Amino acid sequence: MLRKEVNELLTQTGPGTPTGDLFRQYWIPAMLAEELPENDAPPVRVKLLSERLVAIRDSEGRYGLIDEFCAHRGVSLWFGRNEESGLRCPYHGWKYDYTGQCIEVPSEPEESGFCAKIKLTGYPLVKIGDVLWTHMGDPDDRPPLPEWEFALVPPEQTFTSKRWQESNWLQAFEGGIDSSHVSWLHSDGLKNDPLFKGAAGNKYNQADKKPFFEVVQAEGGLFIGARRDAEDDQYYWRITPWVMPSFTMVPPRGDHPVHGHFWIPIDDENCWAYSYDYHPVRALTADERQAMKDGHGVHCEYVPGTYRPLRNKDNDYMMDRAAQKRGDTYSGVKGIAMQDASLQESMGPIVDRTKENLVSTDNGIIMARQRLRKAVTALRDDGVTPPGVDPAHHRVRSASILLPREDAFIDTCRDALAATPGVKQTSV
Amino acid sequence: MQRRPTLLDSCARAATAAEARFRVAYPNSLQRASLVIALDDGAETVVRAAAQHDWAGARFLTYVEPVSAVGAGPGGAIVRGEDGSESLLGDELGDADVVVMIATSERSAEAASIIGTASFARGIMTAGCVFGAGDAADSGVVTALRPYASVLVVAADDDYVMEMLTALRA
Repeated sequence: MLRKEVNELLTQTGPGTPTGDLFRQYWIPAMLAEELPENDAPPVRVKLLSERLVAIRDSEGRYGLIDEFCAHRGVSLWFGRNEESGLRCPYHGWKYDYTGQCIEVPSEPEESGFCAKIKLTGYPLVKIGDVLWTHMGDPDDRPPLPEWEFALVPPEQTFTSKRWQESNWLQAFEGGIDSSHVSWLHSDGLKNDPLFKGAAGNKYNQADKKPFFEVVQAEGGLFIGARRDAEDDQYYWRITPWVMPSFTMVPPRGDHPVHGHFWIPIDDENCWAYSYDYHPVRALTADERQAMKDGHGVHCEYVPGTYRPLRNKDNDYMMDRAAQKRGDTYSGVKGIAMQDASLQESMGPIVDRTKENLVSTDNGIIMARQRLRKAVTALRDDGVTPPGVDPAHHRVRSASILLPREDAFIDTCRDALAATPGVKQTSV
Repeated sequence: MQRRPTLLDSCARAATAAEARFRVAYPNSLQRASLVIALDDGAETVVRAAAQHDWAGARFLTYVEPVSAVGAGPGGAIVRGEDGSESLLGDELGDADVVVMIATSERSAEAASIIGTASFARGIMTAGCVFGAGDAADSGVVTALRPYASVLVVAADDDYVMEMLTALRA
């Protein structure tokens, strides 16, 4: 249960809101690099943190994220002509550079310098890995660029997709740290999904549906460990890191690529789920990459030409009750990503947390909410930089490991939970 | 034949903010019986502070010592209530839905073992809360509680007890 005022505090991310200010402390994914594939590519509408923007890549390859609407008469610059190092409004020809600075007002004398007085809001857009990242906060407090391992490994070792989720970011993110649902909702995935099946550790998941949990604070967020009994007086641990505000990483399985998510608010009733897969020390195989493109693992199939999932609320997620009855899927919805999203969207755009009945195994969620609330209020009241801004906090990994029963994972697994270039993930 | 979604069946309609307003308004759970037990002196301070707030039936206790008398059965320990009165753990566990064990030191091992074993024997959910972050984890208190807590939380701040109990409707 969460009080109404705290629920509102954490779910509202528009300009001027405390949690909106929190998100504006970070470099966050704005879009996939593939959406601006070449210089002078068509502009792309981007809505982030309840701000309507357009992204451009100009004639010189410079990226920018600027206010969607022309300062003249409010025309959407999605209709703009991206040419000759600027985006020109097709209505009266006003032209803007990649920072949002107006560089031409054809109706005014060039010597008047009028255009210098027109400036659209503009945010930086930086390509790291498959993602274009932006920082929407105060330029004077701009942090160093992000250092997430999935974005820094060579291109052949990583794959990132995104999908539109029609719910508030918080209920989507909370699914990413809710380890106890996996044994139920995704039970088919361990048997069938090409990016999950075959790992030695899967047998522990399948044998024990009631894991024990351990939640430990980390500098950047949390580590959430789920342990199950294993042979020889050991526990099988699956350890999930969360780094503020919304980065999560699923514990690996065997030598499969490691995957996880970034949950980014579009507005208060929609978010982007960025889903990455990477291998720290080898290239993804052609089969792995194809499986990701086909929507396996944490990825999904799309309505052609969009980032909207093929299974969405307009077609009831293609619910297949017969497949559910046969045991092909547990919920009747195909695919791990949409199994999650279908249920999270069913809660309504912003779930009313005053009605929920949490239990002890939800302590990861409870502590994440507390850390978020404290970070939001510390920033609001005292200007304290929140956890997760420092790139040192980005260098984390998930892990799956067999440990002696007396070992505390947070001590024993320090190396396994750190992203070290050239070192393989710790996985069973 | 595949049944096609129609209005009220449709997820698109059902998942709107407008429809969310029609969620039936009623208390969808009964009062829980939560036992919060301090396992050591440092934990008692935390538990006493938490007990000063209003709760929906939570009871706050401190572990005192084991009892091995014949007939004591599982849960053979004496616990002390907020008013200083002592009772048998086994009696306190009677109607509990969840037992939350609070610990700050390795000295909690004996208490955790007795309370955890008694709770498991009765099918009662257990949670453990260790305060002191890294120091507490290093001290072995986490290891001491691990076998007896279905969920174990290592928290830096004492106020996490309040957060957790509020979230659990204690």
